[in-house]
Amino acid sequence: MASWGRPENSRLIGKRVQRLSGADKATGKAKYTFDINRPGLLYGHILRSSVAHATITHIDLSAAEALPGVKAAIPLIEPGKRVRFEGQEIAAVAATTDDIARDALRLIQVDYDELDYVVDMEDAKEAGAPQIRDDWEGNQSEPRVDERGDLEAGFAEAAVEVEATYHAPVQTHVCLETHGNVAEWDGDNLTVWASTQAVFGTRQNLARHFELPENQVRVITEHMGGGFGSKFGPGVEGVTVAKLARITGAPVKLMLTRKDEHLVGGNRPSMTQTVRAGAAQDGRFVAYDMSGYGTGGIGSGAGFTGPYVYHVPNYRTEKSAVAINAGSARAMRAPGHPQGAFAMDSLMDELAEKLNIDPLEFRRINGDSDARRDRIRQAEYTLGAQEIGWHRRNRVPGSGTGVKKRGIGVGCGLWGGGGGPGTEARVTIHASGAVEATTGTQDIGTGIRTVIAMIVAEELGLRPQDITVKVGDTAPGLPSRGSGGSQTIGSVAPVIKTAAMAAKRKLFAHIAPMVEADPGNLRAVGGRIRTESDLRMSISWKEATGYLGMETISEGGEWDENLRVGDTAGVQFADVEVDTETGLVKVIKIVAVQDCGLVVNRLTTESQINGAVIMGLGYALLEERIMDDQTGKMINANLEDYKVPGTMEIPEIVSIAYDTDRKITGIGEPPTIPTAGAIANAVYNAIGVRIRELPITPDKVLNALG
Amino acid sequence: MSKEKEKDQTQGTSISRRSFLKGVGTGAVAASVAPSVLIDAETAAEAQMGEEITRAKIKLDINDKAYEVEVESRTTLLSVLRDGFDTSGNRVDLTGAKPICERGECGGCTVQVDGKAVYSCMTLALDAQGKQITTVEGLADGDQLHPVQEAFVQHDALMCGFCTPGFVVAAKSFLDQNPSPSHEEIKEGLAGNICRCGTYPFIFEAVKTASRKMGG
Amino acid sequence: MENFAYVNAADVEQVPSLLSDDWTETKMIAGGTDLLGELKEYIETPKKVVNLKSIPGLDKINADASGLAIGALVTLTDIAAHPTIQHHYTVLAEAAGSVASPQIRNVGTLGGNLCQRPRCWYYRNPDIICLKKGGDTCYAVEGLNKYHAIFGGGPVYIVHPSDTAPALIALGATAKIVGPNGERTMPLEDFFVLPDVNPQRENVLEPNEVLTEVHVPQPKMGTKSTYLKVRERGSFDFALSSVAAHFEMSGGTCSKANVVLGGVAPIPWRSVEAEAALNGKRITDAVAKQAGEAAVANAEPMTDNGYKVTLTQNIVSRAAMRLA
Ligand SMILES: Cc1cc2nc3c(=O)[nH]c(=O)nc-3n(C[C@@H](O)[C@@H](O)[C@H](O)COP(=O)(O)OP(=O)(O)OC[C@H]3O[C@@H](n4cnc5c(N)ncnc54)[C@H](O)[C@@H]3O)c2cc1C
Ligand code: SF4
Ligand code: FES
Ligand code: FES
Repeated sequence: MASWGRPENSRLIGKRVQRLSGADKATGKAKYTFDINRPGLLYGHILRSSVAHATITHIDLSAAEALPGVKAAIPLIEPGKRVRFEGQEIAAVAATTDDIARDALRLIQVDYDELDYVVDMEDAKEAGAPQIRDDWEGNQSEPRVDERGDLEAGFAEAAVEVEATYHAPVQTHVCLETHGNVAEWDGDNLTVWASTQAVFGTRQNLARHFELPENQVRVITEHMGGGFGSKFGPGVEGVTVAKLARITGAPVKLMLTRKDEHLVGGNRPSMTQTVRAGAAQDGRFVAYDMSGYGTGGIGSGAGFTGPYVYHVPNYRTEKSAVAINAGSARAMRAPGHPQGAFAMDSLMDELAEKLNIDPLEFRRINGDSDARRDRIRQAEYTLGAQEIGWHRRNRVPGSGTGVKKRGIGVGCGLWGGGGGPGTEARVTIHASGAVEATTGTQDIGTGIRTVIAMIVAEELGLRPQDITVKVGDTAPGLPSRGSGGSQTIGSVAPVIKTAAMAAKRKLFAHIAPMVEADPGNLRAVGGRIRTESDLRMSISWKEATGYLGMETISEGGEWDENLRVGDTAGVQFADVEVDTETGLVKVIKIVAVQDCGLVVNRLTTESQINGAVIMGLGYALLEERIMDDQTGKMINANLEDYKVPGTMEIPEIVSIAYDTDRKITGIGEPPTIPTAGAIANAVYNAIGVRIRELPITPDKVLNALG
Repeated sequence: MSKEKEKDQTQGTSISRRSFLKGVGTGAVAASVAPSVLIDAETAAEAQMGEEITRAKIKLDINDKAYEVEVESRTTLLSVLRDGFDTSGNRVDLTGAKPICERGECGGCTVQVDGKAVYSCMTLALDAQGKQITTVEGLADGDQLHPVQEAFVQHDALMCGFCTPGFVVAAKSFLDQNPSPSHEEIKEGLAGNICRCGTYPFIFEAVKTASRKMGG
Repeated sequence: MENFAYVNAADVEQVPSLLSDDWTETKMIAGGTDLLGELKEYIETPKKVVNLKSIPGLDKINADASGLAIGALVTLTDIAAHPTIQHHYTVLAEAAGSVASPQIRNVGTLGGNLCQRPRCWYYRNPDIICLKKGGDTCYAVEGLNKYHAIFGGGPVYIVHPSDTAPALIALGATAKIVGPNGERTMPLEDFFVLPDVNPQRENVLEPNEVLTEVHVPQPKMGTKSTYLKVRERGSFDFALSSVAAHFEMSGGTCSKANVVLGGVAPIPWRSVEAEAALNGKRITDAVAKQAGEAAVANAEPMTDNGYKVTLTQNIVSRAAMRLA
């Protein structure tokens, strides 16, 4: 049975290895979809609805078509149909330059018959609000009710109760490379350079749309500038660019603008939940009654977790989604979890305070609902508490003196991320000594390319840079899953590992007779092949592969469940300073203790944890899609008023990879979950006033302080 | 809010929502389609004072190489770098600088102009004439990476890497001005760049390492 | 952005003749960091853009006994890094250094900073024609006004975005303007106009006038000054509220206080109330507190920006204590 072996036997696994694409990225050589310049390239842009809700009565493309340089102008909605949010696609153009394409959009005449709209969740729930979805009655989905235990009995047992309403805003992904594609036809063959998290998913989608066999569509994603869950299919823009390319007979690039990206590139749904909860005198969490909803815009889903992490024996939850006239939600880094975690961890602290129990102790008492996670989590509490200096927190929240008050808080998260079957990969050894690892995953910035090289190199006794990793292309016909759900490494690594093992076995079998050794006795170490028993027998890797002559070894692998693990636990601690005169919250330090399974590349794992924490910090303190009632528009669809963390917001981040398992798991999402809850609790600990609404901006802090 | 409420608020006003919408789509693009005044490179280089230019052939000095490109007045330096052609029809193809916001809000398009970091999306190509432009592609010496680039790779100060060229140029310019900065100064010096993947902590380390390597 | 005719101005005197007397026809460009944003959003679609950077000599800082003369083309980076300004006109160096980001400060000019247009999110949205753009509704009144004015609003409620303007006014600067009829000079304080005078403009400039220079009198011995800016996003952001404070001190008492607020009114807002609370006083905690309270006594917050009252009060006190 395959295993990752013992740590002391690993040369590469678990070490800090530089990203293979690092130099290309740092020199500007790396080509992203946005950078693909094909001969004869045209530029596409999409005209979007400037209103939140209307029936389109007429679209006149003639003036746009007549503009010199415009090669195609097509409608994307039929007159008579409704647009349901600002940003919905109306028409598209392709032109010889980007500027001309933008000019052309301004020449398109659209007649809107405006309809009532609603962009506020509370208004949308009211009777008589404009109907947004045809498949719903009203704008609220049928609530989903979950029950467990005996809620009445739970409350009867409760010594203290908390009732509170928590709110988290809509967050947008803000991928720095906007969604988009370059499409080029050669007869009935379509090649698409896509900024996507799923080359195979995108291929399937496009093939279906254009009624082509899948092997006539090739999707390439060499480098990708951020997805965070929002880039799994071609989207309207992907289908549109392929249409434009077909009509014009030329390659067309269509990348969304920053404003488009905010409006249609997806978002994390908001959450408003009201919860009544009770705990017994001995600290047991005994009852949880929650009802909540969120908006995914015109989308149907707005789920969030709750109860979360902790063991809650008796609960009742009622969750629903509310539709508004705004762009649809998409999966976003740990969908549903950060909003749920923020509310749950705030609630935990509120209960603990009523019980007069240390909030960490209260969490320990009400351990994780899962036994394995609980074991890890309890250890993580200890590690993190020590690193942050938990004893320094204010026993009495807000009791610090001075204008700037410090506070410490804790938050938790859990995630699946084990990966699954469905990846095909090949490891190829050439007589020249060159080694290739090929699979249909894509490196969206997570570093999977480097991890693949490390695994193969570990197996073959080579260096990571000796391995050519080919990912992000459907052409080799080796499918893999989309890079989402922190599933990539768990899905890919086992297949790569077993493929490398198979290729090595084959190589050993081939050369064993030449070197008069038993293949079972051969080892690949330090760029050489040698026998275990007789250390004198040692040939270089190149000499060994030279024996292949005209042959090439190319072996596939198999997914092996025993090489990966899911269900991870994470704990974070935040140390903040609140300026009580300005309301500014400065995060001083975050300690992220994250169950990481087996760490393959410690360097890029730390990068992932840092990045996830920073996105969580933005969620806690800055980010919010702001919809304007008077105009139905997202009023901050830029990077000035939609505020993401910059250098000045960055605290000291101590990431502790808790890696006791020798099995691989994904780490892209879990560390973004606990951050907002930890920060919110730290703010409370600093000022003694609870802010139940994200983001925690100066206006809220000052208003709370009164 | 409903359209009814909206109407109440704008009552007595001459502008209805409908008409302000109309005001949008109809904007004349006369300037961009009008026959353009073409002047050749020599005259453009020292365009007559007071002369109106809507389109011109200009010379740009990019990474110590002279490019002759034809631009409109509105053409940004970023668009010349990424999408421009020289007058012999070759693509400039310097796609390192990225269009991320195109409004001066993210730093993805940072290049050096006469040694200073600027946003190329907020710089007109015409205004870059006669200046030394350095892009991320111009920093390495052949295969030898610039110390800043080396340090970015070493510290994994890049994930998806889309913001990286902008950060590298910003960091290089910053170290040119301040060779041995403190942690806080590094943060302030790079405050004009955004990274959504959150590579900041390692960027700070990389800048410190580069500073040491460069003898700062 | 729409294309335009680009014209290099040879000298200051030529500028008015290159400009139209109709605001929609022509615009000037200096660093372009504000103008290009407007053009890209089609907030402005001028037929002609006049380049000021071709004018020699406007990028100089002259410091002598009479004070400081700063050309309109001097960059914010140069102002922030100027040793004399750092030492004797501290509030200005700090204000210039707090503007936007290094890249913007490297090209953004003083003239452009003073003449930049509002950042109000309704104004900057190409699909919304508000009062400032010639429409007849100020959407901020009934809408999202978290970042809007608490002083001097009506009929429009923008806040003036410039950081250098409050600093320069606190220093008693004058502005030199050149127009078709020649040159005029005025206190910078009078350069800015409230919306009830002209809802569509923020200053007295006519469409064919150019700001050429700002002059700052040399501060008396023993003066102290500072700029305190609070922004929601620390990395770069406009001020939620800021205070430029410049105090003439004699023997431990503040003989003359200049307190000018940014980010809270359609123009840089001189707080005569705070100044009165400070003048002639030795600055103690109590006096600083009174100054803060006085500063906001007449504030008129809107629905979402009441926090700015508290914030402004607090930072006025803080700035006063910093200079105590
Ligand atoms: C992301 C971002 C953040 C920003 N943050 C801040 C901030 O925190 N604080 C702040 O103060 N500013 C900020 N700004 C605004 C920034 O554009 C100005 O600070 C800058 O100084 C403008 O100078 P400029 O030379 O680039 O102006 P330009 O864009 O060239 O000009 C601005 C305006 O002034 C006019 N103009 C220019 N020069 C003159 C002159 N001599 N006479 C008459 N009119 C003239 C132009 O016609 C134009 O309308 C920010 C801008 C951006 C894009
Ligand atoms: S504050 Fe001014 S710019 Fe903003 S909506 Fe009102 S009128 Fe327009
Ligand atoms: S693309 Fe130029 S600053 Fe964002
Ligand atoms: S590395 Fe992805 S945005 Fe910075």
